[in-house]
Amino acid sequence: MTGIVIRNTLRTSWKQILYWGVGLGALGLYIDFIAMSPDIISGYADILKSMPPAMLKAFGVSGIELLTTPEGWIVSVFVAEAAIFLSVFAVLAGLNISANDEQSGVMDVILSLPISRAAYLLERWIGFALIGLGVVVLCALITLAGIIGMNVDAPLDVILKSILNLYPAALLVMTVTCLLATALRRRAVAVGVSAAFVVVSYLFNALGAAASGAIADFMTGVSYFSYVEGEAFVIGAYDPIDSVIVFAAILIGFVLSLRTFVSRDIGI
Amino acid sequence: MASDSVIEIRGLTKTYGAGRKATLALSQLDLTVKRGEIFGYLGPNGAGKTTTIRLLLDLIRPSAGSAKIFGLDIRADSVEIHRRIGFLPGELNLWEGRTGEQIINYVASVRGDSRGIVKHADELAERLDLDTSKRVRDLSSGNKRKLGLVISMMHSPELLILDEPTGGLDPLVQQTFHEMMDEYRAKGKTVFLSSHVLSEVQAICDRVGILRDGEVKAVESVDKITTVDFHWVDVVFRDSLPAGLPQQLERISTITDVSTNGARVRMRMVGDFDPLLRAISNGYVEMLHIEEPSLEEIFLAFYSGDEEPAK
Repeated sequence: MTGIVIRNTLRTSWKQILYWGVGLGALGLYIDFIAMSPDIISGYADILKSMPPAMLKAFGVSGIELLTTPEGWIVSVFVAEAAIFLSVFAVLAGLNISANDEQSGVMDVILSLPISRAAYLLERWIGFALIGLGVVVLCALITLAGIIGMNVDAPLDVILKSILNLYPAALLVMTVTCLLATALRRRAVAVGVSAAFVVVSYLFNALGAAASGAIADFMTGVSYFSYVEGEAFVIGAYDPIDSVIVFAAILIGFVLSLRTFVSRDIGI
Repeated sequence: MASDSVIEIRGLTKTYGAGRKATLALSQLDLTVKRGEIFGYLGPNGAGKTTTIRLLLDLIRPSAGSAKIFGLDIRADSVEIHRRIGFLPGELNLWEGRTGEQIINYVASVRGDSRGIVKHADELAERLDLDTSKRVRDLSSGNKRKLGLVISMMHSPELLILDEPTGGLDPLVQQTFHEMMDEYRAKGKTVFLSSHVLSEVQAICDRVGILRDGEVKAVESVDKITTVDFHWVDVVFRDSLPAGLPQQLERISTITDVSTNGARVRMRMVGDFDPLLRAISNGYVEMLHIEEPSLEEIFLAFYSGDEEPAK
């Protein structure tokens, strides 16, 4: 591993950090703006009070009380929405790791160079993982700058941790897409299955949280959203084991991608 | 492996798909390419040329058999092999949004010693009259091909593997390319070149392998294959054909395909010239033109279904 492919990936795709980071940051600023006014968020809370608790849970809100605080509002609304947008970024990044170059035929040129398939895939993965990190960090900085600039009374460390906690989720979706693209070979199929993975995971988390019992627990347990919820930082319930589970899934997914990519025909 | 062999292929077989949908693309290929030669790999579309090349580059995996390049296994030692070879794919696809210069710099950095490689790339680009400052999407197909040639040759590889290298190049650039291949040969380097442009193979290759339906039908020196034992003979008489000449020629067992056009008669002839000379001695011969069969004709002979070229 020489790092050349990582540098090239960053050189050619760094603008994604700007586009996605600023885009998500703008969303953060909007949420900050609303959080600036306790009257507005309590007004929202009053509206939501009329909803059944199960329905609230399905929308990712575990309690009305949480929404009435600025940090609870920012994390419940912004982080939940950012998680969805970041999933879109992650699917696109996962395709960029190998599928796009393979489908366009560029991979033939790349793999005729003195670099092993494994090293190439690893360096591409690291390159896009760094870009994803850049997106999350930029988004967090803009959101925090908004909190400071608008004098929102919210603990910065809690907001920062809950936003950074989105990163493992983005990495997981990127890795799953990479795995699907290397295994299925067809980019369109990989996009479809990855999107299904994100949507089903979101629904499982929402529906699982709204119900109780073994099936609900199972649905929550298999949804990656349940392991990266920002609320855990607000209510002090963050469990590092959740992050370990997500990183373990990422590692397994990447090893499987690597094995598939190394052992199969390219470009057929 | 003999030290003068650069490519050695033994029993290489590739089947795409499985079960009823399985397609045999290459069957039990045995082939040796020697150091310092330009080897032409001929065959029509679908014969297995690109499959062979993709197997050699470890882009696809053989169903059976093995191959070595520089004595190294194409699978286990692919990185080391790729360090020493240059490759131009038949369907060249590059990053559309990037300039030739950016691609050259990237490929050079992956190959290491980028400064020296880029300098040589600039020389090659100048020689091929290629503007590397343009984005790939703005290049014509011929200029893309030139860029592919620069990328494949810029590190002065020991072995060049070129899949249909001159497709889309104008005749002047083709001439430059032929000169480059001559220089490669003079430096003792090896070229494995697939083509269906037989005149090109005839012009620059030392040996040729003819592939049909995934099987190598013949491997011969270009000299030998072009001196196969038949000729096309044109005889032009000053006034008119001697009376009864066509019928007389058709009676000669070594002459076939007799056709006439005014005072000209054309025929395909095998063996000695004496029967022909005797037959035309009654007329005043203004011109006698003897033409060796082209590779196209030999090629067609192979593809007629015969195991041996038609004599």
